[in-house]
Amino acid sequence: MSQSIELTELRCELKKKVMELVPDANLNSCLTCGACTSGCPATGQFDLDPRKFLRMVLLGLDEEVMKTPWVWVCTICYRCYSACPMKVDIPQLVYNVRASWPREERPKGIRLSCDYHISSNGSAMGAKPEDFKFCVEDVAEEVRETQPAFKDLQAFVGRKGAELCLNENSRGPVTEPDEMVPLWKILHTVGADWTYPAIMWGGENYCMFLADDKNWEHIVRTLAEHIDNDLGCKVLINTECGHSFYSIWAGLQRFNIPHKFEFKSIVEYYAQWIREGKLRVNSDWNVDNIKFTTQGPCMLVRKSLGDPVAEDLRFVMKSLVGEENFVDMYPNRSNNFCCGGGGGALQAPYNEQRRAYGKIKFDQIMATGAQYVAVPCHNCHAQIEDICEFHGGHYHTIHLWTLICLSLGVLGENERTYLGPDLAEFGL
Amino acid sequence: MEKANVTGSVMVVGGGIGGIQAALDLADTGFYVHMVEKSPAIGGVMAALDKTFPTNDCSMCILSPKLVECGRHININLMTLTEIESISGEEGNFTVKLKKHPRYVDMDKCVGCGVCASKCPKKVPNEYNEGLTKRKAIYVPYSQAVPLKYTIDRDACLYFKAIDAGKKGKCKACEKFCENDAINFDDKEEIIEVNVGSIILAPGFSAFDPSGDSLYQYTNFKNVVTSMDFERILGATGPTDGHLVRLSDHKEPQKIAWIQCVGSRDIHHCDNTYCSAVCCMYAIKEAVIAAEHSKIPLDCAIFYMDMRTYGKDFDKYYERAEKEIGIRFIRSRIHTILELEDGSLSIRYADEQGNIKHEDFDMVVLSIGLEASRDAPELAKKTGITLDKNNFAVTSCFSPVSASVPGIYAAGCFQGPKDIPYSVMEASAAAAAASTSLAPARGTLTKTKEFPAEKDVSGEEPRVGVFVCNCGINIGSIVNVPEVAEFAKTLPNVVYVEDNLFTCSQDTQEKMAEVFKKENLNRVVVAACTPRTHEPLFQETLKASGLNKHLFEQANIRDHCSWVHQKEPELATEKAKDLVAMAVAKVALVKPLEPVTIGLTPAALIIGGGVAGMVSGLTIAKQGFKVHIVEKKDRLGGHALDLRKSFKGETVKTFTDDLIKEVTEHENISVHLNAELEDVSGFVGNFKTKLTTGKEFEHGVIIVSTGAGPSDTREYLYGKNPNVLKWFDLDKKITDEPETVKAARAAVIINCVGSRDDQRPYCSKICCTHAIENAIDLKALNPDMSVYILYRDIRTYGTREELYQEARAKGIIFIRYDLDNKPVVKEVDGRLNVTVTDHVLGRPITIEPDFITLQTAIVPKGHEKLSRMLKVPINAEKFFLEAHMKLRPVDFSTDGMFVCGMAHYPKPIEEAITQAQAAAVRAMGVLSKEALAIEPIVAAFIDRNACRGCGLCVALCPYKALDIEETEEGRKVKLITAACKGCGVCAATCYRHAITINSFTDDQFANQIEARFAA
Repeated sequence: MSQSIELTELRCELKKKVMELVPDANLNSCLTCGACTSGCPATGQFDLDPRKFLRMVLLGLDEEVMKTPWVWVCTICYRCYSACPMKVDIPQLVYNVRASWPREERPKGIRLSCDYHISSNGSAMGAKPEDFKFCVEDVAEEVRETQPAFKDLQAFVGRKGAELCLNENSRGPVTEPDEMVPLWKILHTVGADWTYPAIMWGGENYCMFLADDKNWEHIVRTLAEHIDNDLGCKVLINTECGHSFYSIWAGLQRFNIPHKFEFKSIVEYYAQWIREGKLRVNSDWNVDNIKFTTQGPCMLVRKSLGDPVAEDLRFVMKSLVGEENFVDMYPNRSNNFCCGGGGGALQAPYNEQRRAYGKIKFDQIMATGAQYVAVPCHNCHAQIEDICEFHGGHYHTIHLWTLICLSLGVLGENERTYLGPDLAEFGL
Repeated sequence: MEKANVTGSVMVVGGGIGGIQAALDLADTGFYVHMVEKSPAIGGVMAALDKTFPTNDCSMCILSPKLVECGRHININLMTLTEIESISGEEGNFTVKLKKHPRYVDMDKCVGCGVCASKCPKKVPNEYNEGLTKRKAIYVPYSQAVPLKYTIDRDACLYFKAIDAGKKGKCKACEKFCENDAINFDDKEEIIEVNVGSIILAPGFSAFDPSGDSLYQYTNFKNVVTSMDFERILGATGPTDGHLVRLSDHKEPQKIAWIQCVGSRDIHHCDNTYCSAVCCMYAIKEAVIAAEHSKIPLDCAIFYMDMRTYGKDFDKYYERAEKEIGIRFIRSRIHTILELEDGSLSIRYADEQGNIKHEDFDMVVLSIGLEASRDAPELAKKTGITLDKNNFAVTSCFSPVSASVPGIYAAGCFQGPKDIPYSVMEASAAAAAASTSLAPARGTLTKTKEFPAEKDVSGEEPRVGVFVCNCGINIGSIVNVPEVAEFAKTLPNVVYVEDNLFTCSQDTQEKMAEVFKKENLNRVVVAACTPRTHEPLFQETLKASGLNKHLFEQANIRDHCSWVHQKEPELATEKAKDLVAMAVAKVALVKPLEPVTIGLTPAALIIGGGVAGMVSGLTIAKQGFKVHIVEKKDRLGGHALDLRKSFKGETVKTFTDDLIKEVTEHENISVHLNAELEDVSGFVGNFKTKLTTGKEFEHGVIIVSTGAGPSDTREYLYGKNPNVLKWFDLDKKITDEPETVKAARAAVIINCVGSRDDQRPYCSKICCTHAIENAIDLKALNPDMSVYILYRDIRTYGTREELYQEARAKGIIFIRYDLDNKPVVKEVDGRLNVTVTDHVLGRPITIEPDFITLQTAIVPKGHEKLSRMLKVPINAEKFFLEAHMKLRPVDFSTDGMFVCGMAHYPKPIEEAITQAQAAAVRAMGVLSKEALAIEPIVAAFIDRNACRGCGLCVALCPYKALDIEETEEGRKVKLITAACKGCGVCAATCYRHAITINSFTDDQFANQIEARFAA
């Protein structure tokens, strides 16, 4: 990339277009100070970094900008923006450059996930609402039959008048139905009045990653209308998933979607239920002082709710494993590093770059010495597990609900896929 | 406003270096000053700094004499713990209502001994040390504070805390132990009304508080400190007693990083759109001092965006720091600081190529920015003046110290971030502006002290009285004072001895005056603290008793003895005896001295008729003095005639035209065009000048304002291609041929042409801003024009930064180049062709602009000749050299001579005007006197016959107070008493012993030495 640049008359079509769409992006204001680049885990991938990428846009090198796959390695995690003295919104620039790619040339994995979600009116893996309903009811029935403590357990889909509406990552019903159960148990324990939505129940939104505004909006709007008009729930709870949370949180604002319900993360509820004594968890079980750390999803923390939800997450973790057994990563909370699984990267074809990106997260996790990483996010979960294997780590990656049910002593035999051998049999 | 009806006094609000300078300038030019300071003592931020750039002077050492002078000036009414309550009236006659907070300590009785604080049980964070140490609830802000009077902090005091909570007050330890009965728990708030003619506001700045920042973690990481913390860590009276150690574990650091622009140039983590103007220099200074301070090799790295060393000698300082001291400069803004287990800090940063680097440091210093004083909004509300969006006072570039209300002036950081010299200049300028309309009332409110007629002691045998001071416990706890007093009785000529707890206390002074009379003393020795602060006090007591003040000698048995020999009390007592014996030996030979007075011509010579010269001339003329402006060219105006606008967008031409008219028409001003100096002779107050036109006149002061102009260049095809312009050419083109300019598709501006290179190792200061202004105007003419600025560092200091931001927002492209990889300009097929490497992408960029503008360096012309004629120095770059870069920015070291404008250093128009006004008020310090009184401790000939006229003393005299004259007896040295400072270089040099210094004579010294060795 050292070929000479002929400038004379600047033609910055791409810049102009983005500045019209996002007037607050301050693209021109760049001081070329490098704070973004020093904080970005995608720095160096495809010989680019946030500063260079923006510079190319400012110098009008539109053709080169449009060609680089770097925009699919950048996870739009906003860590660059948080340090920028000029509030230059590079993530929005990346998003809009993604959007400028011909749709058919955007990464197939992301595109198909988006398309399935729209066509199935349910989720990114294409499971239809009726299949989802069947699966949920079938698994719930099995729990009632095999686990006497939960003989009254209920899991509804599309129940009108429920107070809370919860979405579900499509991995649940499609590939690992037993992973849905721990969260049901938690909801049962606290006596929640809840339901899944009947349509657009999938806790994901790959149309957002595809930079497909129309379909991103369609998913969120359909869900919002369904909740308000068909179900009448007071609260929409996002399950353990960062990008799904952000797609709804930001989508409601970005597309001006009217809604009557309140939108919250399940992490906030975990913390609330523990504080209220409804979820009587403790760390007594952790007699071997197993060390835990946690990854707060960028989408949930830095990009949406900020440090308060990061504090909730830590409160939950410490309640579950004991203050002394919780080891934080540094930096953390709103200044956390993205794991590299965001932005649709797991569905994009740049695995080498994604894993190199994830090396920072891997090193951070290894530095904690923790045996377990608990993550309230499916993308983080998949990425952190993958980089562990790729970079030769030895930690285990689990969801929060697994840990909660473990602490409550109610984690079933089939609900332990992600636990290590030390806990695989624990409490059975 | 009725001119005769103005009030001859001025209020100065704020007791920092700016306020102090303004007060002293006013008091020295015939105006009474009410100085209002909110805190218990004056000194401001400068008192808390360790060293100052670029001279590395000890901050306190250069400030302290000013503090003392301000504190004891008969025409400065110092009001501490006081704030403005409200203002009424108008320019010339304001009534200011002041609120004076209770000190709970009687200022007249308190002698600053510190017993109260040593007994006070309550400790609170010490603001002076940035909270890194504790002070007591009764305290002085710092040990050299003026006034050195204790204050009770009501919020911290145990007694008041109980009272304020409605309980019975207890403790009162301070009251119990105070020997002077100075504690007054019944002290009340007072409302005072003062009449003044003008008001100068100089409340200073508040440092940016990085506590809330989650990226740099100042609050959580112990070894992340602010630059103000670091000043205190370096300071001898700081939290680590001047030892450079980490706060977490008191280990000596081996690596320290500075992070620039914390709270500056940032619209995200704060809303500070401006550059704080001083941080680059103070960071380099801190790094240099730290490196020199450290016992182990210290690795210092400064992380920055643009290195803004734009002031006089600043670039040389930067060069030296990098090349000689080895400070590393890393152009990178830091995202995050991480703390390691041992308290060290880890930084991950991107180098200029975008490569990620990791480095660990023992300490990180955040170079925090300067924000408007937290008191500014309140002060603005009470005075009615306008503040800008950053809460800095609004001023115009053409009257740079005038706030928006007539009669109210703003100086220092109150109107934007700036360094000490510029604050001092603004303070002097404010004094000039504030006193201009009050000139008719000059001298109407100032006081002079009356003393009884002096007793003739000639022919009397010396009768020496010795007063030995305990200074509370300061001396008495180490030195055996009664033993010293007994010893003093045995010394020759001593007829009276006493020891006091506090010799300086008011009642002791009264008793001393009685003793002088009763014992018929004709010589006095006080063995106490330092003459620097206390000699004038004791001398006044002598004068009040009818004794000549020179019949006095002070032995410093505190600073030179008890303080430095605390662990050897017996030896300290012996040394105190020696010091007393020597003082007694000297005083016996001291003779009464009479002050020398000389007349003066109340007129000024201004050399150079540019804006600076005209402003200084007009300022002096308006105050009623005659002014001669000498201009080499056939018209006034200088380079301002080529300028379009100030950085605030005001039109320079209108201002300059008006100024020329006012100067030309002023009855007190004579303009000499097409004229240069042929000869200058004389000294302060009494100069004689002959011009090349043959004209001759006398004057009392000289102001040099000869300016500087753009350099020539042969770089970048200048002179070969007509489309390669110098910067004034583009200004002219924009004004004269906007249509041609408009047609351009692309324009390139190249900065630092001839600046900051081996030949001219200085920054021309104005070019970055000028380039950006022109670029913005090009964009205004044709928004589709592609405009490129090729630069090395963008140095838009202060609020100029907003122009830089505006330029970027408008799509102007800034490309940074290095000295070793300069842009290349060629002509290809008749078109200009520029190649430069992009600093971010590292790729060559080719531009074919319609024209190229070169920001050529600002260079002085003809200064060597003038320097020789006036016998004033120039620096290596041929700019005139002021007496002291920090605190005497417009004075030459020769009395009666001043400098302003670009003759001093390249500067924008508002700084030239400020400096011109400052030079005017300094000149007025001479002109406003009826006669010049000179301290008689000056050189005197004892043996004119001994002088061989060798001229060695003439060559060495730093004040031009000696000259050679041809006499009938041959070449002889002539003494210009008015110029002499009594430094003694001449006397020490003269191998013929022809010169001696009054009060420091050879026989006095010999007697002292004998006394020491006889003892």
